[in-house]
Amino acid sequence: MLAFAARRLIVSVGLVWAVASLVFLVIHLIPGDPAELLLSQGGIAPDPAAVEELRDRLGLNLPLWTQYLDYMGGLLRGDFGLALQDEHPIVDEIALRLPRTLELVGAAGLIALVFGVPLGVAAALRAGGMLDRLLTAGAGLALSVPVFVLGTLTVLVLAQHLRLVPAGGYVPFARDPGRHILLLLMPAGTIAVGLGAVVFRVMRASVLEVLERDHVRAAQARGVSPAGIIRRHVLRNALTPVVTVVALHLGSLLGGTVLVEFVFNWPGLSGYLVRSVESRDYPEVMGIVLVISALFVLLNFLVDLLYAVIDPRVRHG
Amino acid sequence: MRRAAYRGLILPGVLAAIIVLLAIAAPIMPLIDPVRQDIAHRLTGPSAQHWLGQDEYGRDVLSRIIWGARVSLSVAFSAAAAAALIGTLLGILGGYFRGVVELLTVRAAEIVLCFPPLLLALLVVTLLGPGAGTLIFSLSILFAPGFARVAYAETLSTRALDYVTAQHALGARTRRILALTVLPNIATPLIVQFSLTVAAAMLLESGLSFLGLGVVPPAPSWGLMIRGARGAMEQAPLLLFWPCLALTGTVLVLNLLCDRLRDALDPRGRAMGRPGFLGRVFALPPVPSPPAPGLLSVQGLTLQVPGPNGPIEVVRGVSLSLAPGETLAIVGESGSGKTLTGLAVMGLLPAAVTPVAGSIMLTGQDGMPRDLLRLPEPELRALRGRDMAMIFQDPSSSLNPLLRIGTQVAESLRAHGTHDGVHDRVVALLRQVGLPDPERAAMAYPHELSGGQRQRVMIAAAIANHPRLLLADEPTTALDVTVQAQILALLQALKEAEGGMGMVFVTHNLAVVAEIADRVAVMYAGEVVEEGPADEVLAAPRHPYTAALIASTPEGEAERLSAIPGAVPQPWAMPPGCRFAPRCAMAQPACTVTAPALEEVAPRRAARCLRWRELA
Repeated sequence: MLAFAARRLIVSVGLVWAVASLVFLVIHLIPGDPAELLLSQGGIAPDPAAVEELRDRLGLNLPLWTQYLDYMGGLLRGDFGLALQDEHPIVDEIALRLPRTLELVGAAGLIALVFGVPLGVAAALRAGGMLDRLLTAGAGLALSVPVFVLGTLTVLVLAQHLRLVPAGGYVPFARDPGRHILLLLMPAGTIAVGLGAVVFRVMRASVLEVLERDHVRAAQARGVSPAGIIRRHVLRNALTPVVTVVALHLGSLLGGTVLVEFVFNWPGLSGYLVRSVESRDYPEVMGIVLVISALFVLLNFLVDLLYAVIDPRVRHG
Repeated sequence: MRRAAYRGLILPGVLAAIIVLLAIAAPIMPLIDPVRQDIAHRLTGPSAQHWLGQDEYGRDVLSRIIWGARVSLSVAFSAAAAAALIGTLLGILGGYFRGVVELLTVRAAEIVLCFPPLLLALLVVTLLGPGAGTLIFSLSILFAPGFARVAYAETLSTRALDYVTAQHALGARTRRILALTVLPNIATPLIVQFSLTVAAAMLLESGLSFLGLGVVPPAPSWGLMIRGARGAMEQAPLLLFWPCLALTGTVLVLNLLCDRLRDALDPRGRAMGRPGFLGRVFALPPVPSPPAPGLLSVQGLTLQVPGPNGPIEVVRGVSLSLAPGETLAIVGESGSGKTLTGLAVMGLLPAAVTPVAGSIMLTGQDGMPRDLLRLPEPELRALRGRDMAMIFQDPSSSLNPLLRIGTQVAESLRAHGTHDGVHDRVVALLRQVGLPDPERAAMAYPHELSGGQRQRVMIAAAIANHPRLLLADEPTTALDVTVQAQILALLQALKEAEGGMGMVFVTHNLAVVAEIADRVAVMYAGEVVEEGPADEVLAAPRHPYTAALIASTPEGEAERLSAIPGAVPQPWAMPPGCRFAPRCAMAQPACTVTAPALEEVAPRRAARCLRWRELA
């Protein structure tokens, strides 16, 4: 198990390095001068002297490999550089906002699993029945509603019309736990609708497939009760594809909470990213993309470990 | 079935066509200019001129919705088409040439999949600035790897087909093979992928536009309209409603179209019944209580499966009997119904198979005879693994790979009320079936054991509660020849140890029958064609099929090995007379007309042949 984890870890570190290099190269090799782009607001050509001054300040006049080594060295020390706009250290802003996004994604994943898994099992056990058809149709609908449409309509109905909840925002947990959770639940629930539908679909298909396997029939031949068969011979075996799919979606959610954070005014990492993209703040965009990609890789690493926990064959292979 | 699947395409297909037609026809429809502002009438409700009202700049909402469809769909379609073109090309090249080309095409494209999609789109927008061109560019990058993967996988499997290899051998040019052979073959999965991509591209486009990073105002786009309407949410909630409805509805139609398309193109794995262990749903008419069996008595068992032209009888009128301590072998080719007969006794028939007539009487451990076909599922479950047990053909798939061996053997005990000393009993059972180091084996996972050892585990679980009846469905077929003999010897030894246990042994191997069975029933095309004491039947068969089987067995007494010509008839195309007549060397005109009955040909022997006397 330890050797397995160590192998996976080495691969993951290599991947993060590759992503960091790739992001660096994309930013620096794409035609167009970042300094010029940054200064050319509103289509007016910027003052060449100002561009030159900015290029100097950003180190853009140094040879590319020097810039690369500087950047990588900074990353190793946990230094992502300064933002162009107001020169705040990027790593501080990320450290402030990242936990909020992780909290949002985690809560959404949890809600999706809590509903998706049992409903998927229930639908599969009565495949073709009324409940199954209802849930399957519901999941199809849930998958078709864009997350920002759902969020906006939630705000419209719950906050504007019924005045049940605030329209959005953020309160630190330490200041007001109840309000914090209330404000968390709306965006998390919005994300969880689509994600839960995905979990439901995968779980349903997976259970149907496992039910047909020989070892289920063999357990039946031993006289094991239906509850025992489902618990020991179906659920755990059916869970592997769900783990894969949920991890994949949580990974894309790390960058995909943008819309929901925007709708509910949740001050997470995504909002920071959108702001950076709007103001074309290269160091900021690079830093955020890198952090999210690294998390993505970390998530995949954790999923591999989870496989090993679920399936002894992976552990020993 | 397939026709029904195509019929399902009509509704989403028509709806999608309407949406696309509206978008195409936008310039020639009598619509108000979607960007003409009318600030004086901003946020006015529906009127005769403005059916859906006016937005925050007084622009006509209906017109903007229809023009918005045009923008959203053209971005989504262009992006999906570009992605399809690039991705398919990369996938085909990678799949056809493999090696370095594969690395440069498919694997390179997959790097994109390492980034969260929206993040990558935002990165592109940072570099190129917002606008429809940027959108199409970033969406094609995002979706091309999906096409590359599909095309790659399909090309790999098509490439291996014989006729592609043949073309290559005949000297056809690579480009020609790719264009004329590979492409048409991979077209269907690509169509499904394309409709999926259009829906996904619409979602992303509208999302980016909603953030203000996609389509540039004042061009109408559903995402932008929702963005604009949010500000006026309190005064004019309907303004928010229309673009939301248009967007959700279109994506829903596209997703539905995609699902139905997949069903129509790939009809596998559609309708499935409920699993049997939740309770079976057939009801059989009661029979006047049949005579108490020695141990097991199957009378007139008939099993049906639904077919396109009405139900098909896969097992017809099968009768068998077994006394305590006896071994009955059921012999026949694949498709003869021997396995289904065994599963019917256990009540483990697949959901599609229904018993429609007959009875299966079993004398339980308590000495009470019961009709298994008419027993409610909970009572049947109590018998399974206690009074009767079964071992299966493939021990590798019959054990749950995620559970320890000991846990699975213990299930037999726990399911029937043993809760004390389970571990010791499990170890004793594993020792009894001849596993070396049973303590360790109990803690092992199935993949750590060999095939023969796994079958020993299955046998241990089966005999845990000293069953009266042991059903063995080809228990040695999946094993090495040397291991087969060991397993047979083990079964023999266990039968002697468990006094009075009867065994039904399903096999296609006559050598095994000679070695292990007291009685034998030969099945052909769902019927018993001959039945009797094993040594008598093997020495002097009274049915041409039995004779032919013996002649085709290497260990048989025949001078020359002969195969039986032809194949078992399909269950929906049974010959009207004797089912074996088309393959029978002794068939006469009468055989193809009259279906022979099972006749007693000697004491305790029966055969289903018009000419059995001539075989004597």
